Amino acid sequence: MIRLENVTKRYGETTAVQGLSLEVAAGEVCVLIGPSGCGKTTTLRMINRLIEPTSGRIVVNDHDVTEQSPEQLRRGLGYVIQSVGLFPHLTVADNIVTVPRLLGWDRARMEARGTGLLALVGLDPAEYAGKYPRQLSGGEAQRVGVARALAADPPVLLMDEPFGAVDPLTRERLQAEFARIQRELHKTVVFVTHDVDEAIRLADRIAVMRDGRLQQYDTPEEILDHPANKFVHDFMGADRALKRLGRVRVDSVMRADVPVMAEERSADAVAERAACSESRFVYLVDGDHRLEGWFDCRALVSGASAESAITTVDWREVSVHPDTSLKEALSRMLGLGFRSISVVDATGVLLGIVGLADIEETMTDSDAHISMAPVGLGAAGEAEA
Amino acid sequence: MTSPASESVVVPSRAHGIDRVAAFGAAVALAACLLLPLSVFRANRIVEGSPHTALSTGPAGWVLLGACLAALAVALLARPAARVRALPLAASALTIALAWALGRAAVTLRAGQPDISRVSIGGGAWLMAAGCAVVWFASRDYDGASTFRRAAAAVAVAGFAGAALAGGLANLSIVTEYSDRAARFWSAAGTHLALAGGSLLIAILIGVPLGVLSLRVRWLRTVTLGVVGLIQTVPSLALLGLLVFPLAALGLPGIGPLPGVIALTLYALLPIVRNTYVGLSEVDPAIVDAGRGMGMSGSQLLLRVEAPLALPLVIEGVRSAAVLVIGIAAVVAFVGVGTLGVLVFEGWGVQADDLILLGAVPMVVLAVAADSGLRALARAATSPGIR
Amino acid sequence: MNRRRTGFGVVAVAAVAFGYLVSRQDWWAAALTRLFPSLPQAVFPSATVADLVTQHLQIVGVSSAITLVVGLPLGIWVTRPSGQEFRELVAATVDFGQTFPPVAVLALMMPLLGLGLAPAIVALSLYGLFPVVSNTVAGLEAVPPAVLDAARGMGMGKWRILFTVELPLAARVIMAGIRTSVIINIGTATVAAATGAGGLGSPIYSGINLQNGAWVLEGAVAAALLAILADSVLAQVERAVAPVA
Repeated sequence: MIRLENVTKRYGETTAVQGLSLEVAAGEVCVLIGPSGCGKTTTLRMINRLIEPTSGRIVVNDHDVTEQSPEQLRRGLGYVIQSVGLFPHLTVADNIVTVPRLLGWDRARMEARGTGLLALVGLDPAEYAGKYPRQLSGGEAQRVGVARALAADPPVLLMDEPFGAVDPLTRERLQAEFARIQRELHKTVVFVTHDVDEAIRLADRIAVMRDGRLQQYDTPEEILDHPANKFVHDFMGADRALKRLGRVRVDSVMRADVPVMAEERSADAVAERAACSESRFVYLVDGDHRLEGWFDCRALVSGASAESAITTVDWREVSVHPDTSLKEALSRMLGLGFRSISVVDATGVLLGIVGLADIEETMTDSDAHISMAPVGLGAAGEAEA
Repeated sequence: MTSPASESVVVPSRAHGIDRVAAFGAAVALAACLLLPLSVFRANRIVEGSPHTALSTGPAGWVLLGACLAALAVALLARPAARVRALPLAASALTIALAWALGRAAVTLRAGQPDISRVSIGGGAWLMAAGCAVVWFASRDYDGASTFRRAAAAVAVAGFAGAALAGGLANLSIVTEYSDRAARFWSAAGTHLALAGGSLLIAILIGVPLGVLSLRVRWLRTVTLGVVGLIQTVPSLALLGLLVFPLAALGLPGIGPLPGVIALTLYALLPIVRNTYVGLSEVDPAIVDAGRGMGMSGSQLLLRVEAPLALPLVIEGVRSAAVLVIGIAAVVAFVGVGTLGVLVFEGWGVQADDLILLGAVPMVVLAVAADSGLRALARAATSPGIR
Repeated sequence: MNRRRTGFGVVAVAAVAFGYLVSRQDWWAAALTRLFPSLPQAVFPSATVADLVTQHLQIVGVSSAITLVVGLPLGIWVTRPSGQEFRELVAATVDFGQTFPPVAVLALMMPLLGLGLAPAIVALSLYGLFPVVSNTVAGLEAVPPAVLDAARGMGMGKWRILFTVELPLAARVIMAGIRTSVIINIGTATVAAATGAGGLGSPIYSGINLQNGAWVLEGAVAAALLAILADSVLAQVERAVAPVA
């Protein structure tokens, strides 16, 4: 774990970081966030001594960072920067094993490690190991950058706006990959960003900074629900409530017992099912419980034919996955013009339904849902393993 | 000179119509064949020579004329598809015809003349060679018959060798000059190479560290680049003249190899120091930051990251210095070092053209060889990731 | 801006000082006799320093003029559509030519043109072509295509574009090529004295031949000063033609 004790950095007249104290528990993702010039990058670079603090103490894994030489220290920390900084004259594989090579690993071990890491970050080793950085896209390059940082299996990762230099679509994918990798590896991560949504999505705790001072250090939910001051309140954005929804997974609030109809599709059969009197829609599934469409009961009442009451759909276009956030589910609902949306797994099997009412409940019952909401997209509290 | 802009421009007449470049080369060769002397005959070494055009030296000269006309015809009349093979063929034929004609002319003109008579290569022959080279160059651009081209080139080389051995190229006066002083020639060539190579080596040993240090120490950079740049402007002969005095004051010989090596090393320093500095300073700072952040020490960073990235530019600087130094090594002959320049100066002194050539041509060959060799080295040393 | 002005001023003063120094043959005589008291003839007798410098400048000046008159249009032509075909050939020739030792080019002129001024001027003109053509082509090709596009879009004709857009933007690179060419030529002209062309190499050659250190010093110092001064002047001109300060 990492502990900063009253760390200050001054450059002549200007103070970049003032009296910063915080503690990052092992296995946690701590996101440093704030406007430009708030000192977040300076703080990060003091942890691996690329910048030396003017005063204060930094402790990593119970050792003061000044106990070792800077080079020794840095070889035990992973470091990822925005522009990646891959060595253009080396292949991807050679880039990844840079630190192991410095530590003197033997060739077989390095090769195995490189292959494993490429797979971990979602790149096919056979295809990518021999490529050169100039042949990679921005997203691929950053994945290699992360693999390189993880090569010597450091317990700590320092990341300075790692996903800032790619397009939004790639950024989202990289964030999801990072979350997945973090679920597997449980590294202690200090992550700098200026993107509030990214912080909310990835952080276990967020440290909001301004002009070198720490404004608030807490879980995303706390910061969104109880901002410490006006700055934090404004910085997190006027859509705090919506952002809050981004922390809750769909499968934690969905209703799993949904009226379904597998075989008989005739209107009478459906009408006979008592279900119609309870809910408006009856969902039509195939033999494997995959979503095929739904039956609108209200249509029967108005006297229209049974056929017109049935809507057949491609489940891929009108559903969300269990790990989707409520925020995204709401957005999809609004886009589709629905008041509820189906939750399916990767093969289209219907798992449950989420409606506007459920979302409303989440907002008003925020306290109860904080304890249910998974910490950092993956710890206890999710509906499925 | 490379240019992305020109690569995107279509060169129309290569695709349809006449090949103006090949036509230019062939036309130059044709004009030289008809108007300028192929060979120059002298009764002895110092008498004014009488020029002879190709046609006047016998049937080989007519064949040569035919080859020039053929090349011109190919450039002007052949269909582009046919030109792919016809051009290398024409160039090959012209090369062999030229070598053959030169040899035959030498034999014919010297027939019945005393042994001290000399036949030298006339201006027309040089110009024909240049025109032939242009035709070869033009044949390079046609896609899709590179093996054929290479085969044609090989045939040309073989033909040239054949002409040299059997056709009487040995009768040319330049060869006579060589055989008259073969040992001196090789000694001069060896000295030239040794002097240039040795100075280059010293310049690398001094210059590369200077360039590396210049990166870190600002005032050193200004001073070094300034001094070395200043030296570069001073004429080599003047520098050699100026070196005499401090050397003499130190009790060291003011003429001979010592001032030669000092002068050459000083001249070689600028390209090497400057390119080392620029090469290193152009390394992306993000890469350096990433390297430091990963725990590389300063020397590890230099060795494993900055050096490989700067290497192509450094070798480029060495190439530049090598060409420069081979040139100045000729001037150094004037302060008593036996390089190829000695042959040139001697030739100037007695107005023996072929002695001048005997000194000048190997110099050019050395320079071109060093240039090509180091270009190839630069390419080989460039990681595929940064090409 | 001020730095540019002071640089220009310093160079102008240096040029005037050099000119004056060269004209005072008596100073050269006095200094050389002081330094070499044992030599009977401390000053090069065949020509005054002023004469030698003038000869040298004439050789370099005439050959540079020829180089410019031939080289600039050639470089421009090769970047126009009508000359595009020859661009590769010219580029290869120039690259090849620049590897030639200058002495070799000078040497090769002799069989054709004999001794004297003519072979020196031809050799210098020819050798000076290479950097000028190379830089003219490089400078013109470095003009951003977007700028050319805009100019054409505004309705400017080819010649107007060349003279008001392309050449001004390429001016600095072209000037750098001219500067390289002139400095190399000053050096080669020194060697050309051996072919009877005159110039500041004469006292150096004669001095070495006749073991007269004073003559060598006279020629070497004057040649070195001339070269450094010329480089400074041309550096100022180069800075002056830079399109953006």
